[in-house]
Amino acid sequence: MDDCGPECQEALREIERFLDHEVDDVVRLKVERHLSGCSPCTDKLEFRVHLKALVQSKCSERELPAGLEERLRRFLTTSDRGIEPR
Amino acid sequence: MAQTAQDDPALRERFERDVLPLLSSLYGAALRLTRNPADAEDLVQETYLRAYRGFAGFQEGTNLKAWLYRILTNSFINTYRKKQREPQTVEGPDDADEWYLFDRLGAQNVEGSAEEEVLDRIPDEAVKAALESLPENFRMPVLLADVEGFSYKEIAEIMDTPIGTVMSRLHRGRKALERALWETAKERGLVDG
Repeated sequence: MDDCGPECQEALREIERFLDHEVDDVVRLKVERHLSGCSPCTDKLEFRVHLKALVQSKCSERELPAGLEERLRRFLTTSDRGIEPR
Repeated sequence: MAQTAQDDPALRERFERDVLPLLSSLYGAALRLTRNPADAEDLVQETYLRAYRGFAGFQEGTNLKAWLYRILTNSFINTYRKKQREPQTVEGPDDADEWYLFDRLGAQNVEGSAEEEVLDRIPDEAVKAALESLPENFRMPVLLADVEGFSYKEIAEIMDTPIGTVMSRLHRGRKALERALWETAKERGLVDG
């Protein structure tokens, strides 16, 4: 659908691991070099970066239920099965 | 009498200092896994109790957060997998649909960076629901990677799964999440389906 050449395909194959910072330096530099000259691939990468950040911010819980921390502390202190001896 | 937390103030102090601050992140993960606040609280409590009891065996300086998530994951599997029988496959877009959401949002004839703005308009609750709609084998790696920021290697350790399995489930889980987000955007009239 886009004018995707073999170079794009090669870069896009690595894009998920690239985004996750799971590629070695050789692959990372190769992908970066390709992206610097290819705006369709850059758009795709930016979209995924945005999506990942969005999932992180929208699926995190910033507020705990009222009293949870207190209930937890009480639960741990009153539990007579505390930390096992070494 | 066996030594307990009450008799080991140093250990207990370290637990309170290092483990309690992770409560909101663990609770969030518990909520995404169990999908309801009462079960999430029970799961967090069980996780903390197990962590508390096992804390003497935790090696300081190693990865505490991954250690706790492993306990959380195991507790979840032991307690809830039996309760929540569900199919463990995803109907994701197929391989030809590598850019499922990007392509669909891009075809909406909207200007500029509007693809991303459409996503931003999906309410938090709907994004959570989309993630929670994934079967747990796929939900877990997406949660651990995208929400909690764990590496593939850490996720493999937490889930006790080979790294290759983590990568393929993460990939398929993310694609299924894209599909779920597209469906929810359509239902809300944010895009023309």
